[in-house]
Amino acid sequence: MLQDLIGSKTSLFAEGMQTVLRGHENRTRRVVLLKGNVVQNSRSEERGVSARVNKNGTFGFASMADYSGAAAEKVLKAATENAVFLSGHSGIDLALPKSTCSGLIETNRGIEDAKQKQILEFCKTVDSYIESKYPDLSSRVVSYYEDSQDRIIYSSDACCGHLVTPRCYLYVVLNSETKDGVPVELFKAFGGYGCFGDQFAHPEELYSEIDALYKRLMDKKEGVYAEAGYKTVVLGGLMGGMLAHEAVGHTVEADLVRGGSVAGPSLGKRVASDLVSLVDFAHTYEGKPAPLPVYLDDEGTKAIDDVLIRDGILVGYMNDRESAEQFGMQPTGNARGWRFCDEPLIRMRNTCVLPGKNSLEELIASVEDGYYLIDSGNGQADLTGEFMFGVTCGYEIKNGKLGRALLDTTVTGVAFEMLKTVDMVSDTVQWSSSGFCGKKQPMAVGMGGPCMRCKIMIGGR
Amino acid sequence: MSELRTLADAFDAALQEAKIQKYTYTVSTSEKQELNVETGSFKLMRTVFNNNGSVSVFLGAKNGAANGNDLSPEGIRKLVADAIAAAESAPEDPCHDFGPDQGQKVFRQGVTEPDLDRFLDRTKELLDLIARDYPKVRVMAAIAAFDRWNWISRNTNGTEFEGIGGQYSFSLEFSAMEGEQTTGIDFVGFSTGDLDTPFIEMSDVRKHLEDVQKSLNPESVSGKFEGTVIFTPGCGNQFLSMLLENYATSGVIIDGTSLWLNKVGEKVCSDSLTVKFDPFDARIVMGERATQDGYLTEPVTVIENGVLNCHMLNLYAANKTGRPLTKNTGWDLVVEPGTESFEELVSSVDKGLLVGGFSGGQPGTNGEFSGVAKNSFLIENGKVTKAVTETMINGNLGEAFAHIRGISKEQICDGGSVMPYIAVDGIVISGK
Repeated sequence: MLQDLIGSKTSLFAEGMQTVLRGHENRTRRVVLLKGNVVQNSRSEERGVSARVNKNGTFGFASMADYSGAAAEKVLKAATENAVFLSGHSGIDLALPKSTCSGLIETNRGIEDAKQKQILEFCKTVDSYIESKYPDLSSRVVSYYEDSQDRIIYSSDACCGHLVTPRCYLYVVLNSETKDGVPVELFKAFGGYGCFGDQFAHPEELYSEIDALYKRLMDKKEGVYAEAGYKTVVLGGLMGGMLAHEAVGHTVEADLVRGGSVAGPSLGKRVASDLVSLVDFAHTYEGKPAPLPVYLDDEGTKAIDDVLIRDGILVGYMNDRESAEQFGMQPTGNARGWRFCDEPLIRMRNTCVLPGKNSLEELIASVEDGYYLIDSGNGQADLTGEFMFGVTCGYEIKNGKLGRALLDTTVTGVAFEMLKTVDMVSDTVQWSSSGFCGKKQPMAVGMGGPCMRCKIMIGGR
Repeated sequence: MSELRTLADAFDAALQEAKIQKYTYTVSTSEKQELNVETGSFKLMRTVFNNNGSVSVFLGAKNGAANGNDLSPEGIRKLVADAIAAAESAPEDPCHDFGPDQGQKVFRQGVTEPDLDRFLDRTKELLDLIARDYPKVRVMAAIAAFDRWNWISRNTNGTEFEGIGGQYSFSLEFSAMEGEQTTGIDFVGFSTGDLDTPFIEMSDVRKHLEDVQKSLNPESVSGKFEGTVIFTPGCGNQFLSMLLENYATSGVIIDGTSLWLNKVGEKVCSDSLTVKFDPFDARIVMGERATQDGYLTEPVTVIENGVLNCHMLNLYAANKTGRPLTKNTGWDLVVEPGTESFEELVSSVDKGLLVGGFSGGQPGTNGEFSGVAKNSFLIENGKVTKAVTETMINGNLGEAFAHIRGISKEQICDGGSVMPYIAVDGIVISGK
């Protein structure tokens, strides 16, 4: 845990400018077993201090790989000089955003560091289980990855505080071959917010889900290509989360709105069926901690929920302080940087389509000829809201019943058109938080959603 | 003695104090000066001073590693202790190793004293040109960065490598707008060791700007058909990287899932394809000089006239599988040009796509790919006709590069790779 070595330097904040001083540490723990071989076994820690200064709408930023009071003094001076220099070339002259909060956000939790030996033993136990129970697999990967962020923030005119965000995952990848010798694979991520001890007390707790993963892989061995075209599908909860993040979330980040995203002219308009509501949760969902809670952002804004779509109408963007001022919205704490040397960018936190009233079984039973798409490997979207998700696990639906498994495929659509086709929404949300969002810097984000019946373009042979 | 050399000596001292007999480490310092443009205006100036130390420790046949940026005496001791703890917990595996004594080498590359005023001027020059000549283009973001670094890597076999270098890099993220119509995002970027050339002439910056202006009002391809896809150099780089990742790199050879597991010496692609990783090509700005396994980097031709010459194996994978090591990490991609012009390639296509970007799921080890054609245009009867949206391409990586229709004689160099246009047949193209 970072100790506060920088708080005394706030007296050096320049007059007439907005300044944020940040001490920041990233830690990673990584073990990778490839077919039982330990191919990675490493630990990493990186810390430093940064300052960002806003002079009339132009920003200076500086950082050093040294977490100390002396380094804080140096980055404050360099960031201020950068802001002054660039201000003379930018032609920008904006009023500084008004202050919307103040006070101290207390440290939310600590970090308990597991020994590498514990992590390795856990991975080896899980790997041995898979190897002995499923000797017919052609290959397997058991991979542990933990990262944590620990930041201390001092702002000239907003909140100050200390935020700790650890997360850890065990990724299991199973490989097999079709009868024609074509490789197929499936993966699953276990874990979430917290440290090793919070998530991985007993390896046997994972076994039933590994068994289920194996069963789906055996289904996939006999799988078929999807039929390419515009189809009725049931998107599973993980796919719903991907939709929330990729297809909608990015288009309503205010910096992308300024860049010309489709959300610009859509504010206040219908962009989805009235069954669809979308919220970027700060730290709490249904009374419990959200997958990756954020209490304070890197501009010193106290994090609150941000409603983006209400009953199908686009009602908000995700903002930093400056864009909130520009769009006449409230800053909600979305400005975050990944490493000590990264400036804060507008990022999602825990973005989720809200649940509806139907059961998953009702959704599947309602489809005459379509697909149930369960899990995604990755996704992307662009300014127009045109999105793509890789589908790694899915099944045919024929006459309301699940059919054969699918080989890997991809779905695509334009978010604000596709969301209008959503006509059934399930009552349960499924969350994921094991991946990274990429936008100049990586960022840990949570995404969630219910199952949704909709129409979508699917790729296939 | 340089400050970095003093830090390196401190690593040796800490490792020897811990009585470690076999180890390797790398210590580095770096500096970044970065100008960020947002919606056409200079918005942020960023300065980053960074350090890094990574150490890999061997206790008999057990190996562990640690990485960090605290290079104080206490920080170095902690890194060493973390690496030892990781090694102590690891199983014995003699395949972990590093290369034999390569002597002492110093690699000086690129530019270490930047001309930041000229860099700013070149950036302004491009932004002004875009505003004047490409009125529909909206520059969402541009990043002009100068990076310089100094690193030293040593191991207990006696090797000492030192790298001293720096480069300019520039990236542009943009779209086109007209009224409420907007295109998708396009990206282009390059790295360079000098500022002699206006940025509009670097890489294929001009082509990207021209194409995005033509991408307003795109249409989905109607129905489904099998056709030819011409990959732009940037997109071809993406596909070749996926091909080699799935068929020829360490992980898929160790676990035996590669479809090219026993294909070395055999024809795997069309005759016209020759793929190299050549860090010494004069068009590569900052080519690799030493591998992480502690070897001097050598150029390698992975695919020569369609024949697979070798896999891309690191030392661990080579030891594990008993196959030859490749002394090259695979960063500096050079694809040999073909004989036809880009225009001739287009005119040979009855129906297909010119694909500038691919947004798709990461293909599995079977090589099946499926995704959305981004920044793409329909080709009909030998002509590029209209921009497309919601259009998917599906196929198999291995089959695609075994059915190359042609490779352009023009190559695009972005400082990190040298790529022609590549046309492949038999791709399933589908729209609404």
